[in-house]
Amino acid sequence: MSRPGFVLEVDERTPPLLVHEGENFRLERLPHGTRVIYPPDSLPGIRDLDGVIRRALLEPHGSEPLPELLFPGMRLTIVFDDLSLPLPPMRRPDVRQRIIEQVLEMAAAKGVDDVELIAANALHRRMTPAELQHVVGDRVFRSFFPQHLTNHDAEDRDNLVHLGDTAEGEEVEINRRAAESDLVVYVNITSTAMSGGPKSVSVGLASYRSIRHHHNVHTLRHSRSFNDPPKSAMHHSYNRMQDLIGGQVKVFTVETTLNNDTFPAATRFLNKREWEWNYGDQAAYLASRRGNSLMTPSMRRRLWHRTEAPYGVTGVNAGAPSEVHPITLRNVHRQQLTEVQGQADVAVYGLPYICPYNVNSVMNPILTMCLGLGYFFNLYLNQPIVREGGVGIFYHPMPNEFHPVHHPSYIDFYEEVLAETTDPAVIEAKFEKQFATDPWYTHLYRKSYAYHGVHPFYMWYWGAHAMQHLGQVIFVGADRSAAARLGVQSASTLNDALQLASQTVGTSPSITYQHMPPLTLASVR
Amino acid sequence: MSGAKTPRKGGRGSLRGDLAMLRSGRDWRGRALAPRGYRTPGGGAAGYGAGKAEQKTFPTAWARTPAARAVRNVLQRGVLKQYAWAKTRPQIEGLDLLESLRGPAIFVANHSSHLDTPLILGSLPRRIADRTAVGAAADYFFTSTAVSVTTALMFNAFPVDRYGSRRSGVSLPAELIDDGWSLLLYPEGTRSHDGWMSSFKMGASRLCVSMGIPVVPVAVRGTFAAMPRGKALPTRTGTRLVVRFGRPLPPQEDESITDFRTRMLRHIAALWSEEDLGWYQSLRAAHEGRLALPEGRTTALPLTSTPVEQGKPVAEWRRVWEATKPSMGDGRRRVWRND
Repeated sequence: MSRPGFVLEVDERTPPLLVHEGENFRLERLPHGTRVIYPPDSLPGIRDLDGVIRRALLEPHGSEPLPELLFPGMRLTIVFDDLSLPLPPMRRPDVRQRIIEQVLEMAAAKGVDDVELIAANALHRRMTPAELQHVVGDRVFRSFFPQHLTNHDAEDRDNLVHLGDTAEGEEVEINRRAAESDLVVYVNITSTAMSGGPKSVSVGLASYRSIRHHHNVHTLRHSRSFNDPPKSAMHHSYNRMQDLIGGQVKVFTVETTLNNDTFPAATRFLNKREWEWNYGDQAAYLASRRGNSLMTPSMRRRLWHRTEAPYGVTGVNAGAPSEVHPITLRNVHRQQLTEVQGQADVAVYGLPYICPYNVNSVMNPILTMCLGLGYFFNLYLNQPIVREGGVGIFYHPMPNEFHPVHHPSYIDFYEEVLAETTDPAVIEAKFEKQFATDPWYTHLYRKSYAYHGVHPFYMWYWGAHAMQHLGQVIFVGADRSAAARLGVQSASTLNDALQLASQTVGTSPSITYQHMPPLTLASVR
Repeated sequence: MSGAKTPRKGGRGSLRGDLAMLRSGRDWRGRALAPRGYRTPGGGAAGYGAGKAEQKTFPTAWARTPAARAVRNVLQRGVLKQYAWAKTRPQIEGLDLLESLRGPAIFVANHSSHLDTPLILGSLPRRIADRTAVGAAADYFFTSTAVSVTTALMFNAFPVDRYGSRRSGVSLPAELIDDGWSLLLYPEGTRSHDGWMSSFKMGASRLCVSMGIPVVPVAVRGTFAAMPRGKALPTRTGTRLVVRFGRPLPPQEDESITDFRTRMLRHIAALWSEEDLGWYQSLRAAHEGRLALPEGRTTALPLTSTPVEQGKPVAEWRRVWEATKPSMGDGRRRVWRND
């Protein structure tokens, strides 16, 4: 049986603890009394995964078995989560491949000819053929690419359809092929509690016109947190849209959850509690640290982005989205949830090398901010781990680097927008429309491998709640000019950061360190 | 990137700095103690690497077979005792009180060094030592096969779960006592960090009371100075090394486990202070409650040369300072005070 998550109080017996900082990591001596939130141990993966997938498709929740929904002459669209999930990418065979193969076997047996596969990349960059092949596997790729295995295009006006507006006036516009299909099978990986469920189709297959209704400063400031769907304004919006979509499109969803085996065997010490490191783990830590320091940044990045996680699958559930998602969330909580009593004055987070938007790419300063103040800060239920007006300390070198192909609008956002203001509301009002409708960015999004022009804005909005909540933000080890451009402080060491923080929280603050990855969702009472 | 910068020699980012960070808080085997706040699924606090999935208890019955006993006798008497005695020249006292001891008993001692066990076993008459098994921390001595085998063979050790996280149907110590074995236990649960005594856990007194067997208090002095935590070999210091056995104490009728534990602790404190006060004064001091005893998480030294306020924390350096105080006088046992 896997051990549950727990909160450790650092004492004199606590060895230095691991903190991620980009492609590197360090052992850090945290002040005595610091509370450290650890996730539950990795749950055992399902052994007979193919059997479980088959059972899920044949015995779905709130729906007829999949074979009964398939018939000759129908239009079947299989949609799957894009490369932003899971992180790091899953070692082959990806669970999406295993599900898609079984769905296709059933479709073939029923004589379905008109099948399309679409990556639900929303406003993310298109997946390259190699990335698509990694997700769907060789057999599916060879059978469908390039004509019938495509990326969703949120700017292809001819292939979008406006389904209507919600009661709140939110426009729902999604991929035409999906909207006009007899059945959409959505294959999902729910890595965090924010993913899956109503978000899948209403975001993954939507256009900017539709997405702007929930990806905005107001909604994100009222999503506390966006990993707690009942308390997330963003999810309320997804729900309204999904209700509308559900009335017009038949969606059969297959949701999966993964365990916390985030790192491969060579770096398994990253998955372990520090006092349980054996000689092998210590040697691996040392070798990784020394190896990192010997490599150039680009070599280091390539190496780490080649890392594939040996995830085990902890749950496969299929059927009607509204019935499947609560089960999925329970599985996510089983793996990630740790109970925490009370908030601290200071929250500490170590930011790793990867976030949903820099897979096989560069983690630029805006993505670093998004990962820290957006994703990691919001990994809570009930209330943040740090009190209002407290201090957030994040570890990341924050190099001033951008991927010119993947993130062209980020470069301009960094150089032009952030040079003027860092206030999300001002940025939204003044600059969003210009970037979102810029024809050059749209062209790069559609024809190259660029994120949509509006994407850096959304990254900035992800952090809007944290920016409002925190009294001070400090990045340890960050490039000073990049940190200054983002409007945060930089410090060389934790002690320096705590010294800076003393202006806000005094000289003996309570500190909580959310130890991740692997991901930990703090339920703060 | 931080890693690309030229690391300062010995500082963060250098190989030496990384090694120092890795070594910090770990023993010579590279293992770290689980932090105090960490609770195992069983509800206990944890030791080295504790909290790992359920572990099986290492079998030690083989170490009590005649063949293993013969090998152990050679190792203990021929090698270990010779080395320890040559290095530390311990003074052994109170063996006469054990002459009437028949049948199993539980030897309980204060614990501040790996030297304690070889000294106590080496001091005991062979008829007792040969029939004595030693309780050793399961999470420390029984985590790898090589160390488990060595410990079991050399000391006739059996694993003790000091944090209550292991569940086994029958208590091994009780089985051993039923089979006529005496036990050597350290009720503090771990070696002292500073030479001061910690409060006793209930296990030893519970066993005595439930099995109706006597406890033999043993005070060991000077081992903290000679070979504290982190040292692999003993060194000779100005602190005399003494192993002092007390009179066997059977549990009294209707005596509770807690009361018996306190009595046991008081006797060990008296034996410990006999070095400074002499035999009679140490008895009086114990009787009048003048000896400091550990309570809860507060450690104590029965006697200190500098004033210590009961219940108030004492700086770590002062604790170590007191525990390594050089011995005075000619080393002869005193029955009466000199003044």
